[in-house]
Amino acid sequence: MLRKRIIFTLIYENGFFNQSRNFRLQKVGNIDWLEKNYRLQDISFSLDEIIVLNASKGDKDIKRFATILNRLVDDVFIPIAAGGGVNSIADAEMLFKNGADKIVLNSALYEKPNMVKEIVQHYGKQSVVASVDYINQDVFIKNGVQKIDTPLDLYIKHIESLNVGEVYLNSIEQDGTGFGYDIDTIQKISSEIKIPLIVAGGAGNEKHLLKAISMGNVNAVATANLFNFIGDGWPNARRYMLENNCNLAEWKS
Amino acid sequence: MCKKEIFWCNNCLNMSTRPRITFDDRGYCNACQWLEEKKIMDWKPREEELVNLLDKYRSTNGNFDCVVPVSGGKDGSYVAHQLKHKYGMNPLAITVKPALSLEIGDQNITNFIRSGYNHIHISCNPIVLDRLNKYGFIEKGFPYYGWLIAIMTAVIKTATNFKIPLIFYGEDGEVEYGGSTESKNKSLYDMEYMKRVYLEGGHAKVFDRIKADGDISDTDLAFFQFPAEEEISGIGLSFTHWSYYEAWDSYRNYIVAKDHCGLIEKDEGNQDTFTNFAQNDQALYSLHAYLMYLKFGFGRATQDAGIEIRRGAMTRGQAINLVKMYDNAYPEELIETYLAYYQMTKDEFDAVLDKYVNKDLFEKKDGVWQPKFDVAQDFSY
Amino acid sequence: MKVAIVDYGMGNIRSIASALKYINVRDIVISSNEKELSKSDKLILPGVGSFASAMKFIKGRGLDATLNELVIQQEKPVLGICLGMQLLGMSSDEDGVNQGLGFIDGVVDVFDDDNVTVPHVGFNQVALKHPSLLYQNMQDTLDFYFVHSHKMTANSDIGQSFCHYDESFVASFEKGNIAGTQFHPELSQKNGLNVLKNFMELF
Repeated sequence: MLRKRIIFTLIYENGFFNQSRNFRLQKVGNIDWLEKNYRLQDISFSLDEIIVLNASKGDKDIKRFATILNRLVDDVFIPIAAGGGVNSIADAEMLFKNGADKIVLNSALYEKPNMVKEIVQHYGKQSVVASVDYINQDVFIKNGVQKIDTPLDLYIKHIESLNVGEVYLNSIEQDGTGFGYDIDTIQKISSEIKIPLIVAGGAGNEKHLLKAISMGNVNAVATANLFNFIGDGWPNARRYMLENNCNLAEWKS
Repeated sequence: MCKKEIFWCNNCLNMSTRPRITFDDRGYCNACQWLEEKKIMDWKPREEELVNLLDKYRSTNGNFDCVVPVSGGKDGSYVAHQLKHKYGMNPLAITVKPALSLEIGDQNITNFIRSGYNHIHISCNPIVLDRLNKYGFIEKGFPYYGWLIAIMTAVIKTATNFKIPLIFYGEDGEVEYGGSTESKNKSLYDMEYMKRVYLEGGHAKVFDRIKADGDISDTDLAFFQFPAEEEISGIGLSFTHWSYYEAWDSYRNYIVAKDHCGLIEKDEGNQDTFTNFAQNDQALYSLHAYLMYLKFGFGRATQDAGIEIRRGAMTRGQAINLVKMYDNAYPEELIETYLAYYQMTKDEFDAVLDKYVNKDLFEKKDGVWQPKFDVAQDFSY
Repeated sequence: MKVAIVDYGMGNIRSIASALKYINVRDIVISSNEKELSKSDKLILPGVGSFASAMKFIKGRGLDATLNELVIQQEKPVLGICLGMQLLGMSSDEDGVNQGLGFIDGVVDVFDDDNVTVPHVGFNQVALKHPSLLYQNMQDTLDFYFVHSHKMTANSDIGQSFCHYDESFVASFEKGNIAGTQFHPELSQKNGLNVLKNFMELF
């Protein structure tokens, strides 16, 4: 039976990892900080996947991002998806070469659909995660700055037509608030979407994660909350969810 | 020999050492109990009281009808915004300039004013302010005691002079964050409460010291004196907390201040907590928080964690990790600033810290005070 | 013990190398060079992407012949991972019918997206079929990480263990010196690392 997944999203900007609140970033620490406070080699036994997003404004310096990706990959043995500013096949190639198991595309879904198709063609649909940032029915690209005219439900259909593997649906309004997920929108989208759905935006604790992951068509829950799960936060969260009959992978020691 | 014990709230992480705090039989502190009450109580009567109060004082001739002390931060901005836009009042916002103001704090005040408010910026004589701050630091362990006095006295003095009868402070910290519950059900409070609770009765002591210096007179202290009761009852001046009339919600205040008053956050967090959107106006705040930590065992992160736990964003278990990470924060980055400000040597400065640290809870290791206790583990001594 | 990860331009080599290092495999070479590969004791054939592109690359570098020599003639142990496992089979219907390396009797076709959400992504359970070298000392049903849209089925006994998603498909196989896992052992936590260890030690 296919398990559901808990995904930890890391928001990277210019060498640092950040706490995002409604897409405003607070610099928290670099990879050393992350390794120290999360003991990555250990906590990956509580997580199913990691997503690392390059939210740097201006020049994304994908090369530098790739070196950080390298280090993350060496630390953990779970899938890592990487993205942010992938503007060409060469960018995608660089991320795959540096350890990404999947890549995450966002603005390209709108601006360069042919490039998306090409990446899917070459790397396979299962290698591509489509990230969508929204507020209500409005979709935003470029780190939440530019509103596009396609409403959310039609945009999801457009994304499916590009033959990507999964959708990462992220609520800008809930982002970093700790209020919990945008359940109403997730309900709507999950009932219509044909490919695996990862939901994000608003989770502060394990109760939020449990609520969303228990929804029928939600395949995975993600959180980018960099503070709340520090220390023993992740093992506790996973244990709590398993105790509440969540369908998650178990790894016997 | 009687063994003493310290313990933590079973819901948030407030400590039993917090002055005036009380706990119920579940071990929930009064801030957490109040939160539960806030959720289920009917706020309509209190909102009616507010409407009546405001109707009574609303200006009919274009004059200011209420004063809102603001620092540029989320709470004052929220209150000013509600008074002006929801209730049609004509607020006069007042800021008492702190010593060592931070750039982001200054920017936030500018942004707040620019969003459309009449505002007075009070600079109390800095020579006097600095002296009061220093004596407050030494005599009471309150690094910005002078400012703490002035945000009451200077504001009251200004309100009196403008004949504005109503001063709206934000929240009563005792009720919202843990402490005395005596004003929980009182809409108005008075100067006696301010002196006794907020200034912890130290006002007179610090004044005596400053006068003993001989170079600062009563007239120099004009902005720091509470007026006589007769003076304020003459114009019918009332003080109140917004948190009496509407369920206080720090995070909501932050969102409103961001959306409507131009509030900006720091790009980075702080050394002593995980938030970046609160208490950004003055450098002395970190020292205040550190002294609080040494005196009582909890710092800024514990306070912030309490707010996060109570609003459901974080669990107590999660908060423990953050408090362990952030609370014990000797203000390394600012120490030179503090020494220059107080004109003290590091030894003199550390001696003041040594005076206030609770030695039952802390021990010195390599020149720095370290906790003997573990966060959230009941501790006896 | 020298392990070669076959580099034909597609495949998450870094993760595999990382996992191998973690289980103390020191001598790792990443190459598509015939000489290098022939010096190694074991081969790992990774794979991320499309079958057609992969076979094109492999043939383009003459790797099909090289692998035939090393795996079939010299019987070097080989572990195919994900697409790498599929390539060891006869064919795949991805982008039209494409020939695989033909080392084992398995055929690849796509999941039916009328029945299940495709791709199959996440941890899923594999019923370990014993006797097995890959799963030695491992208990009966374990979670491994899958991410694929195509699956292998086999008509004969190739030592396969099954996973179920819409239908039962080959989660892993082992026949002589040739083994393959549809799941990613390098992404499957402890379970995956144990499989890699078993491949290293027992094949």
